Amino acid sequence: MTVMLYALSTCPYCRLTKKYLDENDVEYDVIDVDLLEGDERTAVLADVKNLSGGTSFPVLVVGEEVIVGFNKAAMKEHLGL
Amino acid sequence: MSAAQGRPVRRRFSADTTIDDLKAYMEPFAGSLGYKFNTEEWFVDEVLASEIGILDATGDVYCPCRMRTGNPKEDVAIVCPCIPFHNVQFAAMRKCWCGLFILNDVEDGADLLGVIEEPEKGAEVEVPVCRVEDMPAGSVRHVKVGKRDIALARVGDEFYALSNVCLHAFGPLSGGVLDGHTVVCPWHGWRYDVRTGTTDHPGADVKTYPVVVRDGLVLVVTTV
Ligand code: SF4
Ligand code: FES
Repeated sequence: MTVMLYALSTCPYCRLTKKYLDENDVEYDVIDVDLLEGDERTAVLADVKNLSGGTSFPVLVVGEEVIVGFNKAAMKEHLGL
Repeated sequence: MSAAQGRPVRRRFSADTTIDDLKAYMEPFAGSLGYKFNTEEWFVDEVLASEIGILDATGDVYCPCRMRTGNPKEDVAIVCPCIPFHNVQFAAMRKCWCGLFILNDVEDGADLLGVIEEPEKGAEVEVPVCRVEDMPAGSVRHVKVGKRDIALARVGDEFYALSNVCLHAFGPLSGGVLDGHTVVCPWHGWRYDVRTGTTDHPGADVKTYPVVVRDGLVLVVTTV
């Protein structure tokens, strides 16, 4: 199962999410969207909008599931922790 | 960006702004809108520390949980506290997106921490718009509830909310004067009953909204 985290380098919920994933030894890829530039940023932001319907961060994609925010209960459930 | 035009980047707040400075500045404003800082103090400090980082990088305290578009006209909607721009959504979630602010009557902000769920469309929500003490009897003022422009009127101890837009030539009813339960449009004097939104002129009644007064706050009832 691929786990992908869209985050902002500035965002407290994103930091909490990264910490939670690290503590639970989850392997994941992460993109700090605010650190991207130009076309890449526009493209990734469009992806995030498609996935989450908004521009709130973090957006965690676990297989087919999309979790917006630092939602421990949802992460537990979908990551099988 | 603006430095590119040879002008210095304008910056709000001085270079040595602290978390406590931001608290002192934000608290009364959020309070007048029915919100307080999250009861989880470590989290408040975390968010405000992020905002100071953003202030240093951009010149203003943009929301740390949202993405700036780079277009100042759009980004004004995420300068902290951004409550007025999103007051219907936030009232439905009982907090701002980041959870920096929670509604006054939320006892434990920890319960709301982290989860960002957009409220269900069509759900009824009570949106705080001002404090009772901020509106003297006999006054009328403009409030924005989501995208709706509303004239809020106080007659004695009763509050009434109706569309702000006069259907004669779209004058702002909130700029008018109250005569008993009647608001008189400032542009050409059409008269509307604030209780019902009715006017003598045929087919020109305006919409009204229920108003609740609770814990010293005036709340307009609407849907998400
Ligand atoms: S969502 Fe909360 S923290 Fe973010 S700008 Fe709005 S009020 Fe501030
Ligand atoms: S616009 Fe209100 S009376 Fe003309």
